[in-house]
Amino acid sequence: MTAKDTLSIPHASRNSGLFDWAQMLSGAALIMFMWAHLLLVASVLISTDIMNTIAEFFEKTYMAQVGGPMIGMLMIFHFVIAARKMPFSGRELLTFWRHAKMMKHKDTWLWLIQVISALIVLVFATIHMWFVLTDLPITAAKSAARVRELLPFYVVLLPMIELHVAIGFYRIGVKWGLIGKKSRKFFQRFEFLMSVAFITIGSFTLAELYVLGSI
Amino acid sequence: MSRTLTFEIFRYNPMDPDSKPHMQTYELDEYDSMTLFIALNRIREEQDPTLQFDFCCRAGICGACAMVINGRPGLACTTQTVKLPKKITLHPLPVFKLIGDLSVDTGTWFQNVNEKIESWIHTQKEFDPKAIEERMENALANEIFELDRCIQCGCCIAACGTARMREDFLGAYSINRLARFYIDPRDERSDQEFYDIIGSDQGVFGCLGLLGCEDVCPKEIPLIDQLGMMRRKMALRSLRQGKCS
Repeated sequence: MTAKDTLSIPHASRNSGLFDWAQMLSGAALIMFMWAHLLLVASVLISTDIMNTIAEFFEKTYMAQVGGPMIGMLMIFHFVIAARKMPFSGRELLTFWRHAKMMKHKDTWLWLIQVISALIVLVFATIHMWFVLTDLPITAAKSAARVRELLPFYVVLLPMIELHVAIGFYRIGVKWGLIGKKSRKFFQRFEFLMSVAFITIGSFTLAELYVLGSI
Repeated sequence: MSRTLTFEIFRYNPMDPDSKPHMQTYELDEYDSMTLFIALNRIREEQDPTLQFDFCCRAGICGACAMVINGRPGLACTTQTVKLPKKITLHPLPVFKLIGDLSVDTGTWFQNVNEKIESWIHTQKEFDPKAIEERMENALANEIFELDRCIQCGCCIAACGTARMREDFLGAYSINRLARFYIDPRDERSDQEFYDIIGSDQGVFGCLGLLGCEDVCPKEIPLIDQLGMMRRKMALRSLRQGKCS
């Protein structure tokens, strides 16, 4: 017996499994939401009328008024559940940092990016949702004015959220054994292309809104 | 033309109160098919008899010579110097107790873990030494053997970010080991009994999917496939349990 051993061994609890489900399912739901959100906002690239029509639809069906706060709560729930694994203590963070530097291993670094992007997204997305949901209805003109005013804010939020979503999507597959040893290379490329594609679409959308805001 | 290799080796003897952790430099001429195991032996024989490191089989079977080679855990005996740059940095495996220099005590760690996960076949059947061995489908026997190839070198544990952060994490070795018993029909443990061992954040739910374990495994065991399989089985088990505990 060593000094590190303890006589008090925590029993396996059903909650551990349920928390793991909750983390995965809330993450998957948020990934779906973010993909849909990006495509709907990107509709402004085709025309402002299409974006306004879509926004009006969500308004009339109360999906913006009810769904919006629910997405916000889901995000906070996902953060709280996933935070169980995050290195909050200085010792854990330093150990992981040294480990990542030692290993020079892509997937180890990706997790650290996921943790950092999670913290940034939590703060920035909360502010974004507050702005949008306290100023309904959503219209292309209002979005354009907001982007015009807060461009640096959205330039940070866009890559952070897309990176977090893409890495999260890939990691769900890895952790649950859906991405095996043989298909890992393919999915890593897929994850990379997905990040690039979404950041590109999002950048064009921001640029379009910025231009619209100046008209 | 052969290269002159520069070795930066971690030196520290925890048993000597005057010893301080530091890196020591050695130089050695490389020759064809030289392995790190050969290089270390030559350094010890020709330059510094005090250098401590472990070896036994010299063939990637015993796992004793595992160390951190240029930042990645691996076996000294199966690592050819020709595949490494001229400057080679060697550290002992983290997580495990340091004996001295590159030598660590993996045995105590593995013994503790094996006891924790009850790493043996659980059966009510009386063992009859005279009976003919039970037959098994070849495909299943191969599947079990694939997971049984683990040599307990400790590379997967040293490469795991979670194991580095959290000392109580059981690691890929333990989950792979339990997966081996899970698929073995001779083991009579129920899903709930497996859950009781690894159904926690110290077990299978603590795995972050960092893939370091699989990427450094010298035996190329598909560890993440096993972790994923056990995660799915144990997560399903958590849904079927009657009440929160």
